[in-house]
Amino acid sequence: MGSADITVPQIFKALINSGDAYLDKIIFSIRLPRILAAIILGGALAVSGFLLQIFFGNPIAGPYVLGVSSGAKLFVALTMVVYLGQGKIMSSAGMVINAFTGSLISMGIVLLLSKRVRNMSMLVVCGVMIGYICSAITEFIIAFADDSNIVNLHNWSLGSFSGISWENVYISIIFISATMFLTFFLSKPIGAYQLGENYARNMGVNISALRIALIILSSVLSGTVTAFAGPISFVGIAVPHIMRSVMKTSKPIVMIPACFLGGAIITLVCDCIARTAFAPVELSISAVTAIGLAPVVIYLLIKRKETGNGKN
Amino acid sequence: MEKINAIDLTVGYGKPVISDASFRVYPGEIIALIGPNGSGKSTILKTITRQLKKMSGKIFISGDIDESLMDNELAKKLSMVMTERIHPELMTCFEVVSAGRYPYTGRLGILSAEDKRIINEAIKLVGAEDVADKDFMKISDGQRQRIMLARAIAQEPEIMILDEPTSFLDIQYKIDILSVIKKLAVERNIAVLMSIHELEFVPAIADKVIGICDGSIYKIGIPEEIFTGANIEKIYSMPKGTGDKIISGLLAYSNSIIETL
Repeated sequence: MGSADITVPQIFKALINSGDAYLDKIIFSIRLPRILAAIILGGALAVSGFLLQIFFGNPIAGPYVLGVSSGAKLFVALTMVVYLGQGKIMSSAGMVINAFTGSLISMGIVLLLSKRVRNMSMLVVCGVMIGYICSAITEFIIAFADDSNIVNLHNWSLGSFSGISWENVYISIIFISATMFLTFFLSKPIGAYQLGENYARNMGVNISALRIALIILSSVLSGTVTAFAGPISFVGIAVPHIMRSVMKTSKPIVMIPACFLGGAIITLVCDCIARTAFAPVELSISAVTAIGLAPVVIYLLIKRKETGNGKN
Repeated sequence: MEKINAIDLTVGYGKPVISDASFRVYPGEIIALIGPNGSGKSTILKTITRQLKKMSGKIFISGDIDESLMDNELAKKLSMVMTERIHPELMTCFEVVSAGRYPYTGRLGILSAEDKRIINEAIKLVGAEDVADKDFMKISDGQRQRIMLARAIAQEPEIMILDEPTSFLDIQYKIDILSVIKKLAVERNIAVLMSIHELEFVPAIADKVIGICDGSIYKIGIPEEIFTGANIEKIYSMPKGTGDKIISGLLAYSNSIIETL
C-alpha cells in the first residue's frame, strides 16, 4: 500500500530482520513514525476536544471549529519563517511550545468572545472565522517566504502526517503522555463540573483552578498535534460524541481513555485513506476527516435544535 | 450552636440588594425566606453558597468564619438545591446523586460500598428508587427535583440551602419534597434555609420565617408572628385590608395539609 508498493510479508520480513535497505528505510523512517504519530496525535486531539466540550458545557466545541488549531498553525508558521530566515531550524520541542502559545492566544480570543456571545452556535461561527483569518495569514506568510524549506510548510498547513520524524514522535510521546496523565487525574473534578459550575463549587471543586487546567491541558494537546501534523479537522469535536454513544456514558474516568483510543483509531484509519486512496498522490488528512466526521457534527447540531437543549 | 450565623450581611451584584441582614439558623430548624420576586431571597442564598461574593458583613458556618473554610471543607458542611437547571449528558439519576459523594471519595472519585449505601439511602428517602437507573434528562421535572434533593442529601451536610425547592411542581411533588425536607430536619438535625413562594405551605413546615422587602430584612419570627394581615400587606406591598383575608385562607389551607407533611 502507499506510494511505494510494499506487501505484507515484506513488512514482516523487514520488521523481523533487516535485509533490503530501501524497504527498511521506508518502513522504519517513514511509515512507522507516521503510524505512531497518527495514533498518539489522533488520541490527543480527541481528548483536547473532550476537555473543551466540558469547559464550554457544550458538545459542539472542538479545537478546530473554535479556531484554536489555526491559531497554533499561524504561530508555528510565523516563528518557523523567522527561524529559517536566520538560517536556523526549529527543534521539535520548540515547535510544540510555539504551537501551544498560538493555541493559548487564540483560546484567549475565543474566551473573550464567549463572554460577549452567550449563544454557543454564534461562538462556533466566531471560531470558524478566527480559523479562516489565521489560515489566510498563514498562507500569506508561506507564499511570501521564498525558501525551498517552506514548501513542506504548505502540506503541513493543510494537515498531514507525512514527513513525521522519529524526533517528532518522541517529543509527542513526552508531551502527550504527561498531559494525559494529568488529565486522567482530573477526571473527578471534571465529572463534578458536568453538573454545572455552581454545583461543582458546592461539592468542593476549585472552579477557577479547574477552568485554567482545562484550557492549558487542551491547548498542550491540540498544540502538540498542530505542531507536527497541522490542523486536523473535526476529530476533536466528533470523536468525543461518537465515544459517548458507544460507551453510553459521559463519565470522564471512562471517556478520557475512550476518547484517546477512539481518536487514535479514527485518525489512523483516516490517515491510511489519505495516503492510499489516490496513491501516489496524497490527500490532506483534514480532507478525509472532514468527509467522514463533519456529517456527525451536522447531525449533532440538528439533534440539539430538535430537543431544544440549549445551555439554559 | 447555630449552623449559620449571618451578621450585618450585605449582598448584591455590585449594588446592594439586601443590606445589613442578620439571622441565625440552628440545627434541625427550617427557616423560610419569603418576599416578593426580585427582593433578594436568591441573592442571600447564592452568597452563602459562594456563587456570589458578599459585599460586607460576616457569615459563620458551624462556628467557623466563612473565609477560613476551604471549598472542600464547606462541601462537607453545606449542600444546596438551586433553581438553575442542569443538563448532564447520559448520566443516570444514580450517577447524579453519587456526585454528592464528591467531597468524601478519593483522587479518582471511585465509590466505596459505604458511598453506594449512602447514595441508595438518599434515593430511597426521596422516593425515587424507580427512576434511579434512568437517564436524568428523560424524567419529569418533579422526579428531577427529587433527584437533586437526593444529591444534596448524599453530601451528608449539616446545612441545606434550598432555593424555591417546590416551584413549578405539581401539588403531590410539592408535598413530597416538603415532607422529605421536614424529615431531614427532624431526623438528621439538618439546618435548612430555604426560599419559598408558596406561602400556604410556610406555616405548616417552617419553624421560623424571615420576611424581606425593600432591600432589608423586615421581620424575623415564628410563622404565627409573621403571618398577620399587616405584615403580609407590608412585605408584598398590597392594599390595606387584603392581608387579613389572604391570611385567614392561607392558614386554613396550611392547617389542612399539616398532617400530610
